[in-house]
Amino acid sequence: MTSFLQQLFNGLVSGSFYALLALGLAVIFGMLRVVNFAHGALYMLGAFGAVVLGDSAGLGFWWALLLVPAALAVAGMAMERLLVQRLTALDPLYNFLLTFGIALVCQDLLRMKYGSHSQPYDHAPFSGTVDLGLFDYPAYQVFVLAVSVAVCVAVWLLLTRTRIGTVVRASTERPELTRAFGIDTRRWVTPVFGFGVALAGLAGVLAAPMRAVNSDMGADLIITVFAVVVIGGLGSVFGSVIAGFAIGMLQALGNLYVPVLSQTSVYLLMAVVLLVRPAGLFGKEEHA
Amino acid sequence: MILGLMRRLGDRPAWMRWGLLAVGLAVAAILPWVLYPPVATDILCWGLFAVAFDLLLGHAGLLSFGHAAFWGGSAYVTGLIALHSGLPFYVAVLGGAVAAAVLALPIGYLAVRRSGIYFAMITLAFAQMVYFVANQWSAVTGGENGLQGIPRNLPGVDLSDAFTFYYAALPVVLLGLAAARRIVRSPFGRVTAAIRDNTDRVRALGYPADRYKLTVFTASAFLSGLAGGLFAVNHGFASLQEVDWTTSGKVVVMTVLGGIGTLWGSLVGAAAIVRLEDWLSTAGFEQTDLVTGGVFIVVVLLFRQGLWGTATRLLRPRPPAPPTPDPAEPADPDRTPHLTKR
Amino acid sequence: MKRRLTMGVAAAAVGTLLAACGAGGPGSGGGKISGGKLTLGVLTDLSGVYADLAGNGAVAAVQMAADDFQKKYGDKAVTKKIDVIKADHQNKPEVANTQAREMYERKGADALFDVPTSSAALAVQTVAAQQKKLYFNTGAATTELAGKSCNAYTYEWAYDSYMLAHGTGTQVTQQGGKNWYLIYPDYAFGQDMQAKFTPAIESAGGRVVAKDPTPFPSDNYSTFLLKAPTLNPKPDVLGALQAGGDLANVVKQYDQFKVKDKGVQLAIGLLFDSDIRAIGADKLAGTMFTTAWFWNLDDRSRAWAQRFQQRTGQLPTFDQAADYSAATAYLEAVQKAGTDKAESVSKVLNGMTFDDFFARNATVRTADHRVTHDAYLAKVKAPAQATQDGDYTELVRTIPAAQAFDKPSPDCHLG
Repeated sequence: MTSFLQQLFNGLVSGSFYALLALGLAVIFGMLRVVNFAHGALYMLGAFGAVVLGDSAGLGFWWALLLVPAALAVAGMAMERLLVQRLTALDPLYNFLLTFGIALVCQDLLRMKYGSHSQPYDHAPFSGTVDLGLFDYPAYQVFVLAVSVAVCVAVWLLLTRTRIGTVVRASTERPELTRAFGIDTRRWVTPVFGFGVALAGLAGVLAAPMRAVNSDMGADLIITVFAVVVIGGLGSVFGSVIAGFAIGMLQALGNLYVPVLSQTSVYLLMAVVLLVRPAGLFGKEEHA
Repeated sequence: MILGLMRRLGDRPAWMRWGLLAVGLAVAAILPWVLYPPVATDILCWGLFAVAFDLLLGHAGLLSFGHAAFWGGSAYVTGLIALHSGLPFYVAVLGGAVAAAVLALPIGYLAVRRSGIYFAMITLAFAQMVYFVANQWSAVTGGENGLQGIPRNLPGVDLSDAFTFYYAALPVVLLGLAAARRIVRSPFGRVTAAIRDNTDRVRALGYPADRYKLTVFTASAFLSGLAGGLFAVNHGFASLQEVDWTTSGKVVVMTVLGGIGTLWGSLVGAAAIVRLEDWLSTAGFEQTDLVTGGVFIVVVLLFRQGLWGTATRLLRPRPPAPPTPDPAEPADPDRTPHLTKR
Repeated sequence: MKRRLTMGVAAAAVGTLLAACGAGGPGSGGGKISGGKLTLGVLTDLSGVYADLAGNGAVAAVQMAADDFQKKYGDKAVTKKIDVIKADHQNKPEVANTQAREMYERKGADALFDVPTSSAALAVQTVAAQQKKLYFNTGAATTELAGKSCNAYTYEWAYDSYMLAHGTGTQVTQQGGKNWYLIYPDYAFGQDMQAKFTPAIESAGGRVVAKDPTPFPSDNYSTFLLKAPTLNPKPDVLGALQAGGDLANVVKQYDQFKVKDKGVQLAIGLLFDSDIRAIGADKLAGTMFTTAWFWNLDDRSRAWAQRFQQRTGQLPTFDQAADYSAATAYLEAVQKAGTDKAESVSKVLNGMTFDDFFARNATVRTADHRVTHDAYLAKVKAPAQATQDGDYTELVRTIPAAQAFDKPSPDCHLG
């Protein structure tokens, strides 16, 4: 029983990364109908940001947690203004292709500068473990889970309790209707894009102390996150987040009980969801 | 839109069409004299792959980001047939292509339930699953060592020379290209193009749109499988690289560079990318992704018609602009190939 | 530093020389060296994960061998012109395949060196046999190269997965790590390593308590790290057979989960200097692994490493050292044979015993073209003990050449 609960906890920790990335993808998708292929590359940039701040500026983890997402938010807004916006009048697939190109370029630039091997990160906070009653767990990983849940809750409050949130949520879930009410959703596009990118950067900084930091770290992850948002339903921000945590747990249990399937389980689940609810568990039928 | 497509296909005068065909065949015939023969055969394989991909993207409006599953799946099956049966390589490649089509049925069945961006993500995810299976199942696929030593069997003919093999592979590619063209020109192709332009209207007319999509998806997978099988025989092995998502990305780049929906443009795009990569790696420049990614960004931002589309536009007087531009349409529809209904 | 190259059987050399002269048919023209020059090709990873391990350092090592050879023989050298060319295979087997053909066919390479990544090396091996030119593998670990896929034109110079697994598995068990928990990535390399670790541990009197395949690639190993101390009996050693980025994940998380404090030591299947740099020597201090060579081994090694560092600005890896060793042996063999014809050079190499700064007590096995030599069980130095930057490795004990490698595979039939 303890080991089962431990596995669920493991799953929540790895699900934290899926949830943060899926959340970023979903808010961007909500405003622009664009799926950002570069999201994995931006996560990778977030982790490299932490490494570079630590190595060259001597700034520790807490500074990175603050500065890197902010810097990536600015970069994301610039990316939206300079590139993505040029294509918003066209089929959203063009932006998918554009961001795919951006991902290739980002990865190769990092590879050129740092090589393909992993980078050490020496500024990990909390080296100890905490007693969770039934078992000990690394303090840092508990912290990651706490931050991720806090951010998801904060975004939920932002979306439900503020006017900005209402506009964003409305244009996510009922885009035509929102425009029909004469609400100008466009002024929120750039900040929301920047915010989504910042979430990817935040996930990257959180990953640096516990995962290998290298130029390919985002590429494999993003494909799993795509499956996550298909399962959750991209149109639903909360569906994406919940699917993120759920799939983290599914994989952890898979590791323990059916190791052969631990990697393919996500895709098998996606197949089942597509059969039963093509729009995703929490999504609504729409043309996207 | 349907009219636009028919214009695009039909407005070329007969002499020009025959002329293009003659030029194309002449280029194909002399290619291994001009280029290093193994590279020339690579161009054939990637060219057919990109045309098969454009059949789906340009002519049915479905962006698959998982075509490596079919190219690579066929590469493995072709290799297994050639290794274990000793049958002529044509049979092995055909077997690989059939396997790719069979693999496409369940993937396509699930993927066509969603369109647009979802279709892209779903195909990408399923292809990743194929990758994991190929990687784990190393007893059959060789895992990351690859399936090595695939022979070029053909009774009575020694194909060990890359130059000879090019001419042995050429007919397969030409047949594949002819099939792609036949599909686009057929009544079936007209319906898929109409589905691309307005799915709801086609459904309202009583066509089973999803079945049409699944059929064109499977056809595209079959042709991709022909290309992937030939590629495996050309190199003598099938590796995980063939089912990697970057291979799916590479064929997208080729088709977009050549020009979405132009069919023959994909050949040009494939040739350009293969030559570029060969040149970069020979010249000792290692950042291949940086260059292809950069070229791709520029094409998506500025030359969405691609090489072929831009060339034909320059060679042809522009048709008069529509009298009242529809604000929902792209700023310049003639410059931007139509992908899917918005 | 003097190289000693002792012939196994002197008579064989005389015979070879005669055979080589006899073989100089009409095709070989005036000189015995085709084209009047030798071309050594380095096909390597210049941009990917193995660029540090091999890469331009491998090119420099082969160039160094060519320069040393010319300095040694001067006017007596079999040719005055030795070119070293390089190409990038990007760790993709099809690129390796095309580049290898191109180097042999169009650029006149007489022999290829290096080629990290097993799939790429296997592809190059096939091309070498087709082109009837030599290939010296130093970068790829799969035993298939000298097993099922072996051919008469390929030599394995540095290491293989048997050497890694057998060394660590046997030696660590003999030193008291009786109970093992193995976690291996579920793909060919990991499956192969696991299959070699288990018998090594068991034949040394140890026991594999449990073994689990892990997803590849993966960034979460918490399942296995939590499981490790709870197994019954509790394992003394966690054998992590992951490589590269996955290995970095395992070690980072091993550290966070405090598995060491719970009495489970870490042993690693494949560890390169670049991995130690990536993960941090502090996290790895005390970790045992097997290596084919390391630069701080002894004075001979340090002397060569110093020359290499003067040239390249970096310390050599075992792969780069093996490239130098292989290129030198090849050039000496050409000198002896008096021709660059692969078959004749091969006759000189086969059965040769030698001893250089890289390969100690070495023999080129005739049966499968594997070069056997001493290997080393090593552990990672704590950063405080390091004498300089890049000094990561401490010798635990030398594994004699006869035990370091498996006996020739029955699957290997040199054509």
